[in-house]
Parts: sequence; structure tokens; C-alpha cells
Amino acid sequence: MVALVIALALFFDFTNGFHDTANAMATPIATGAIKPKTAVTLAAVLNLVGAFLSTEVAKTVSGGIIREGSEGVQITPDIIFAGLMGAILWNMITWLKGLPSSSSHALFGGLIGAAIAGIGFNSINLEGLMQKVILPAIFAPLIAGIVAYVCTRLAYALTSRQDPETGSKLTQKRGGFRTGQIFTSSLVALAHGTNDAQKTMGIITLVLIAAGTQAPGSGPQFWVIAACALAIAIGTYAGGWRIIRTMGAGLTEVKPAQGFAAETSTASAILASSHLGFALSTTQVASGSVIGSGMGRRGTSVRWNMVGKIALGWLFTLPAAGIVGALTALLVKTGVVGVLIAAVAGTAAVLFMFFYSRKSAVGHHNAIEVEEAGQAVRFAKKKAMARARAKAKAHSKAKAEANTKAEAQTSTEANTSAEATTEAEAEAITTKDAQR
Amino acid sequence: MKWLELLTVAGATLAAAVTVVVLYSLGVRLTAIAGDVQQASPGLKRSLAYVCFGLCGLAVLFGLYLIIPYFSG
Repeated sequence: MVALVIALALFFDFTNGFHDTANAMATPIATGAIKPKTAVTLAAVLNLVGAFLSTEVAKTVSGGIIREGSEGVQITPDIIFAGLMGAILWNMITWLKGLPSSSSHALFGGLIGAAIAGIGFNSINLEGLMQKVILPAIFAPLIAGIVAYVCTRLAYALTSRQDPETGSKLTQKRGGFRTGQIFTSSLVALAHGTNDAQKTMGIITLVLIAAGTQAPGSGPQFWVIAACALAIAIGTYAGGWRIIRTMGAGLTEVKPAQGFAAETSTASAILASSHLGFALSTTQVASGSVIGSGMGRRGTSVRWNMVGKIALGWLFTLPAAGIVGALTALLVKTGVVGVLIAAVAGTAAVLFMFFYSRKSAVGHHNAIEVEEAGQAVRFAKKKAMARARAKAKAHSKAKAEANTKAEAQTSTEANTSAEATTEAEAEAITTKDAQR
Repeated sequence: MKWLELLTVAGATLAAAVTVVVLYSLGVRLTAIAGDVQQASPGLKRSLAYVCFGLCGLAVLFGLYLIIPYFSG
């Protein structure tokens, strides 16, 4: 049972990794700061490093929600098994839908559901649940969104250039932000490693303690840390392209300066919160930042119906994972046969979703759709268009050279034309601003 | 409820993000100015830009230093 739970926990870590690649790498991929393949590799390496950096979170994970220890009920490997099942299935479903939902909420939801079904309702620490899950769920996107909004405004205000004499607009030269994005997105990946890999370490340690192979109150053992770090890194490398598409282009169109601001806010929010002991969900912070930075730049629209869809996904995460967790816990209660049935059914469900996803594969080649970038254009004036076209020509030349081994000629052409149109839009906006 | 912790997290996030973004933006701005055709002292502006980028990097490193328990002992 213990071995089964550890395997399941590592698989959860894997799904967590590919579910959350989007948090760090969606915006740089969307702005073309890093190529998709390079981006996921970078994220994977940094997740690996981040997982080794700090194990503080692992020591406190899952404590406080389910009453454990001498006063409460003893948490058993069975419960954890059931909880993980719920978390993994919900992660797979949201991945299939391309929704950036919180992996940690899925985990908490699964554990809570399993505990209620397996032990009883009194096993849940309601106050702990409120403090650790529900309040952060409201405030994480809010804080990150506001900070990202402020940062985006600042970044644009500081770099907007006008000729002092004629008042006409100079070239903005904001290309530097694209380079900066490489660093900020790396920071987000690192933060993710220090935060999310810990949750699995905590779970495995909990199982080992429950099984009596490890002294209570001790930290995670080295092989646990290494295994978790590897699992999350491999998951990150596999890349959740569906969610990257939602985060990079579905919420709002992202320019380098916005991406820079959003990533800085995400990284500082995650690092600050995990350091100060107020656990925020990585995914929710990142989504909030992207929306905030979208609101911070004039002329950008946020697709609120997509935001609504995501928020709905968040609402369902806890109960849905909980229900799966509860059902699994009931099955497991019946004995070895139940465990077998649960394991087989879970594997079958995961495999089914994997093959179902093959029908409409979203890979690194089509993660950010061209149409979506094109939709962004609303007002492009002739003058700006002409200027942008000249710019785009030079751009496409450089791009074509860089992409000699591009997968398809058409895709590069489409890419550059999309870039041209978004650039034209930016120009149009800035000229409008100048006229104001 | 942990309202104080919530406020701390919000404040720390805002302070950290604004510091990094302001420094980096200044760097970008100065690089842009240094690249202008008619510019009295492009060298000075460029080195100032690099100072900004450097400070930005230092701010990030300082943040990491604060967070990684290995250093703070």
C-alpha cells in the first residue's frame, strides 16, 4: 500500500509539473521571448533546482486541514491514496479542458473528501480549511492582479518616450523587456519548484510516518526530495500545452512589458507568500497577474468570459476532487479488492483522457494560436500599418533566418504576420495616446 | 484569521515587484535614450542603464538570499 501511494504521489507530482508549466512559461512563449521547447526545458531545470532549495513547505503541508496527531484521528495511507486519486483525476480533466486550475486545491480537495468519507466529517478542521484554502483562493489572484496592474502601468509610464519639442512619439524600444522575460519567467519556475514540489514531498513523508518507517516530526528524506524533484521536472518538460494556450493567449494578448510585469508579480507573490507562511496557489497567482497586466495597458481587452470559465473551474476544483477522493475512500474501505478496483479504474480513466486528448493534440507547434493574436487587432490606422509593415519585413527576415528548421513554412509566416498586426496595434495605440 | 500575514504578503509582493519593474524599466529607458541619434553622452546613459540592470539583478538575488533557508541559517 505504501509503495502504491508513493507511486501515485509521484504521478501527482508529474501532473502538477505539466499542469503548471503554463504559469511560468506561457507569457514568454506568447511574446516570443523564448522558443517553446527551450522554455519548457528551462522551466524543468529550474523546477528541479527549486525543489532542492527549500523544504520548509514540505514540513508543514497538509497539517491543519485534517486533524491529525494525538487529539484527532490518525491519517492512514488509504486516505492519502484516495485523496491523491481525486487530485490526479481532476488535474487531468482540467488539463484536457485547458483550464489553469490549482493543483494544490485539487490535492486538498481530494484529501478532504477522502477524510470525510473514510473517517467522518469531524476529521475536518473547518477553521484550518478556511484559512489555508478558501481565503487564499480569494486573495491570491486579487493581490497578484493588483500588483501586476501597478507594475504594468509603471513599466509603460517609465518607458514611454515623446519628443520634447514636437511632442511626437519616438520609437519606444521596449525590446529590452523581452530579454528580461527570460529571467523573470525563470524566477517563476524556480518559485514553483520551491513551492509545489514540496507538497508531494510532504505527502510521501506523511505516508512514511503513518506507516511507521520514519520518525514523526522529521523532515523529508533525501531520496524523497530527489524523486519529487525529478517527477516535477519531467512533468514540466512534458509541458501542458493546452493550458499554456489559455494563459498565453486566451485571457488577454500579452506584450513583453506586460509579460515582464506579470511574471515579476507572480514570482514575488509566490516567494513572499511561501516564505511568510501564507500559502497561495501558484496557478491562481499567475492567472491573476496575467489578467492584472492585461488591464494595466491601455487598449488591451481582457476576455472576461474566459476569466469566468477559469473562475468556475476554481470553484469546482475543491468539491470535484473531493467527490472523487470520497468515492475512492469508500472503495478502499472494502479491502484489498476495493484498492485494486480503484487503482485499475483510476489508471483507465487517466489513459482514456490521454488518448482522448490525442484527437485534438495541442503541442509546442500550435500552443499559441495565430487567430487569437490576430483577433487582438481592433484599430489599426493606415500610417501605423505602413510603418509596422516596414518593420515586420525586417522582422520576418530575421525570423525566417532564425527558424531555418522551422516545422512548417506556413506557421512562421503566419507568426510574423500576427506579430506585425499586434505591433501595428501597439503603434496605433501609442499614436492615439500622443494625440490625446 | 491571519489578516496581518495577508497584509504582509501583499505588501512584500508589491514592494518586491515594483522595485524590480522600476529598475528594469529605467534600464530599458536609458538604453533607448543611449541609442538615440542625437545624444550628448551615450556612453554615460548606457553605463547608467547597466547600473540599473545590475541593481535589478541584485534586488532579485537579495530576495532569493532572504528566502533560501540555507543562507539565513
